[in-house]
Formats: sequence, structure tokens, C-alpha cells
Amino acid sequence: MPTNKLYEGVSDWLQSAVETLSAAGMTVIAPTQGEPGVVNLTRVTSAEAIAERYDNTLLPLKGQFFPITETLLEFERCEDGDVEIQTEPLPAPDEVIVLGCRPCDAAAMGTMDKVFQWDYDDVRYRARRDRATLVAFACTTPSPECFCTSVGGSPHGDEGSDVLVFGLGGDDSGGRVLLKVNTDKGRQFIDRLGDRVRPASEGVQPPSPPELARRFDTDAVKAWLDEGFDSDFWQQMALSCLGCGACSFLCPTCHCFDIVDEATWNRGQRRRNWDCCSFSLFTLHASGHNPRPEQFSRCRQRIMHKFKYFPERFGRIACVGCGRCIRACAAGRSLAEVLTEVDARQKG
Amino acid sequence: MKNPYRPILTTIQEITIENEAQDLKTFRLGFCDADEGNGFDYQCGQFAELTVFRVGECPIGIASSPMDEGILEFTVKRYPDGQVTNALHNCAVGDRIGVRGPLGNWFPLERMEGKNVLIVGGGFAFTTLRSTIRYILHEANRKRFANLVVLYGARNPGELLYKDELKAWQGRDDIEAHITVDKADDESWTGHEGFVPAVLEQVAPSPKDAIALVCGPPIMLKYTLPVLEKLGFGPTEIITSLEMRMKCGIGLCGRCNIGGKYVCIDGPVFTYEQLQALPAEM
Repeated sequence: MPTNKLYEGVSDWLQSAVETLSAAGMTVIAPTQGEPGVVNLTRVTSAEAIAERYDNTLLPLKGQFFPITETLLEFERCEDGDVEIQTEPLPAPDEVIVLGCRPCDAAAMGTMDKVFQWDYDDVRYRARRDRATLVAFACTTPSPECFCTSVGGSPHGDEGSDVLVFGLGGDDSGGRVLLKVNTDKGRQFIDRLGDRVRPASEGVQPPSPPELARRFDTDAVKAWLDEGFDSDFWQQMALSCLGCGACSFLCPTCHCFDIVDEATWNRGQRRRNWDCCSFSLFTLHASGHNPRPEQFSRCRQRIMHKFKYFPERFGRIACVGCGRCIRACAAGRSLAEVLTEVDARQKG
Repeated sequence: MKNPYRPILTTIQEITIENEAQDLKTFRLGFCDADEGNGFDYQCGQFAELTVFRVGECPIGIASSPMDEGILEFTVKRYPDGQVTNALHNCAVGDRIGVRGPLGNWFPLERMEGKNVLIVGGGFAFTTLRSTIRYILHEANRKRFANLVVLYGARNPGELLYKDELKAWQGRDDIEAHITVDKADDESWTGHEGFVPAVLEQVAPSPKDAIALVCGPPIMLKYTLPVLEKLGFGPTEIITSLEMRMKCGIGLCGRCNIGGKYVCIDGPVFTYEQLQALPAEM
């Protein structure tokens, strides 16, 4: 069966999907509303819990595969002074269906895959990725902070998702949707839905994506960054940065982590935790030397990494324009504005 | 698939206090499982993550030579704010230490074959250079390299590392060892006095068919690299090693980037030419 094929889902397809997949022993992860206005991906067993209207989840999709904290190994000091280390066996992760991430978050997994599967294959990460199917819900109303179209994405972008779902909108749609199959995993997902989906009628096309103006050109940004390391621009642009790290924690492509031991007297765990290059401790040596001693050098690193260093190494930028960093910044900083300014400087 | 985060268990076999300030100790480690030890195949210039269980890991250069069979040594400086280095210094012979590695690239010994070798070190950055000197001086290797000139400096005579070895090198005719101290507070001192760059200018080793390995604190490198250039060493013939707060050591955690390079896998060994192409974030 060819991919990119369109299917039509009947009005209760989502309810049916949650029930069928759950009954088959799969873990269904979907956007749900917790506190008012806060939507996050959580496990669901009923479609009623799934949030209908949301711009995006507060936390990015990456956490499903690269958890905010996870145990790498456990150790125990025995009475005779010996140490026992336990790392294996890794439990096989559940088969997961993510029902309703946004296209930008699915695209971001391409960036994460580059990091975790290039030289050292991170077995934990890969096991979770292999067992997961991503069903993205196309965006109908991008938020004012969204800028996916400036970084090569689209509210209807296909990248990274196994299935992309379009709401047909309008009062006469009756909750029907179009499902676009992008991968083999996506086809298997469709197969499981049985008669709740059927091949779309001839001539049926997905709706056009909502308008979202391009704000800057990443090639121009890269060209300026290539020469701009020593520019005084960085001091100016970083003045308002508090170094709180919210931007990195909410970023679907930020992947830096710390490794720490957490222990009681004779036993403990080595854990991997999300970390952030905006923190002053991030690069601090034991000697007191810090290669990035000032906030501006850390702000510069974050932008350089995403738009220059990462593309040079992996052939793609490390930003999908989800806008979370802008929504979350307590100081009102905007990555899109910074990059628009960089673009303008390049074009002179 | 081996878990890349799992350290190999070792036992501390010997601890040597190296300096008068007693903040530099060399730990000789023995593998608890011989098979794991045999798999630890390292090169001069590589590093490993040392674990003190319950405290954490830190990256330390390997000070022993690959020719030292069954021996693995690390010289560690204790810093007041360094959690793992402090914990290491509190360890005793017989304690279990985790070792994860070997990690990173190494000095280009193959490219150095048949050439004159100049080794310039300052302070406790001398450890991986010591590994290299031991390697070259090994009877199975010495003939593969031409002249070996070593210039090593410390603040004062009491701060020199590997004092017995330094003495032994000065008694050999297959190594020219220049030892200098910033200030000779000891009247019995017979070596050079002065900073490494100044002594390097005096010794003036020839750049002809030569490769220079240079490791030291940033301030020493800043003044030593221009002297080497002035002597005629080209930017690809000057090789140094960088330090960074490396956590994973395998190119994932994103902490040791300098520009597009990861010190943990693209380094820690870089040529001066590569260094000059990197942003000044060292």
C-alpha cells in the first residue's frame, strides 16, 4: 500500500482509536488539559479526556523519548567495600501511540534522532522511538508566537509524523477528519482502526494550511552567524536574559543533559537530567574557569548551536518554530525577533 | 549493545602524593575484572570519566602509557569546588573507582614517527604528555622517533609532578629534558628558572622535521604558542589538548562544544591550526 494515501475518518474515529489501541495493549498518549489553559501529553484511555482546542502542549514531545530525568544505572556498595552496578536488562518500552502532537513537535524528532543516533546509538532513546507511532494533528490556527514557516516547517508539515490528521472544519463536517499516511507505521495505525476509516473519495484534498508569514531567512541568518561571533550585537540582545532556562526546557529540539549521582548512604542511581546552556554552571570547570562566563556568551551559544553549529554538523537547523520559548520567556524575549534582526543585519 | 554510560570497576592499588601542596595525587587503578581491563585499550592523550560512586563523574586525562601493561594511572588535582576531585582525594587504597573510557582522540603518534618530538608542558597539564614520553621512551618504540626534547615547568620545585621520572630522564641520553620552575625557592635547584615560554626561547629547539605537543594552563599556552611559531613550527605541527567540563564524553550531552566541535569526540587533541579556527571559548 502506498504511503501518503488519504483516508477519511468517521465522526467517532478518535474515540474508537483510543479504545481499540488501548484494548490491544498499547499506551495512548494524547493532549489533555490539566490546569486551566495548560495542555500536556498524558496517557489516556478515553477520547473524552483529549483536549480539542489547543495551540500546542506546554511541554514538548521530546520528553516521551528523552525524559526530563531517567536512570542510567544503579549502584550499591556492599559491606565488603565492593560495588555492584546494575544497568541491564532495560525493560522493553510499551508500544506507544501519540495521538495529537503538533507537526512542529514531530519534525523536531528528526533533530533529536540526529543527536541520539549518530555516533553512539543511545539504546534507551532508540527503543522508545522504535516503539512509538506519531499521529500529528495539523494546525488550524497558529498562535502569534509560532514561526514554523520561517524555519522550513508548515502548520501542515509532514516531517516526522507517521500520520497527519486534518480536521475538515465547518459545521457540516460532523467531526470527520482526513488522515494522511506518511510511513509504514502510519499504515499499520490505519489498519488497526478498521471500519472507522476508509479511503478518501476521489478528488478529496486536505485543506490549505493557514497563513503564517515567513519572518526571516535561515540561510541569511547562518551567513551572518558565520561572521558574527565577535559582534557587539550579542551583548545588546542578551541584556534582558535572566538565564532561567525556561526556553531550553520547553524547546522540542534542545537536548543537552547533565549526569548526576543521587544516592543514600550505600546505594544510588546515576541519572540523566535535562540541562540548559543558559545556566552559568553549565560549562563551569572545577577550577573556577568558565569558558562562557557571561550571559551574553551563553545566549550566543544557544543561537549559534541551533542555527550554525548544528546545521554544520547534522545538515539541519535545531529549531522548528514552535514558539514555546517566546511564550514562556518571563522577560518577553523573542527568538523570532532576534533572528529577524539578524536576518536584517545580513541583508543590510 | 554495551551501555555507554556503564563504568568499569577498578580498585585503587596505589596513591602517590605528587606535590608539596598535596593537592595532586596519582591514582594507580587495577581492573576488578581482567576481561574488562583487557578491553580498555587506550592511546596517549585520551581521557576517561572517573566515578566516585554517590558523588559522580569527572573527566581526567590518562597519565600512564599504553606500554605500561596492566597499569592505569590518573593524576588528579583537588579543587576546593570540585566535588569529584575532592572525593577522589579522600579515597584510600582498596576503594572502588569507576572508569568509563577510553574517550576522545589522541596524540598523532603515527604522524610523529621518524620525526623529532618536542614536548612542552606546564603545571599539572603534564599528565597525558607524561603518558606520551613514557610511550616513546619504551624500548619497543624509541627507535621509531628521532630526537625527543622535553620542556616541563612548574611554579616551584615542590610542585613538579613525577619527580623520580624527571630525575631518571635527565640521566638518559635518548631524551633531552629541560625542567624549569617559575621561582626556585630551593637553593639546591639546578634546573632552569623562568616561565616556560622564556625557557623555550632559550632552548630554541629546531622545527626541522619536528612536531610539538604542548599542554598547559591557558596563560602558558597563550605565550608559548607564539614562541613556537617564531621558532618556525607550523600550525599543523603544533598540537595541544583542551580541557572542558565533559559529562557524557560521547558527543551527546552538548556541554563541551567549542563552536561546532565537541571536545570529547573531536578532541581533546587539536592542532594549533584547528584551534585558530574555533571561537575563543576555551
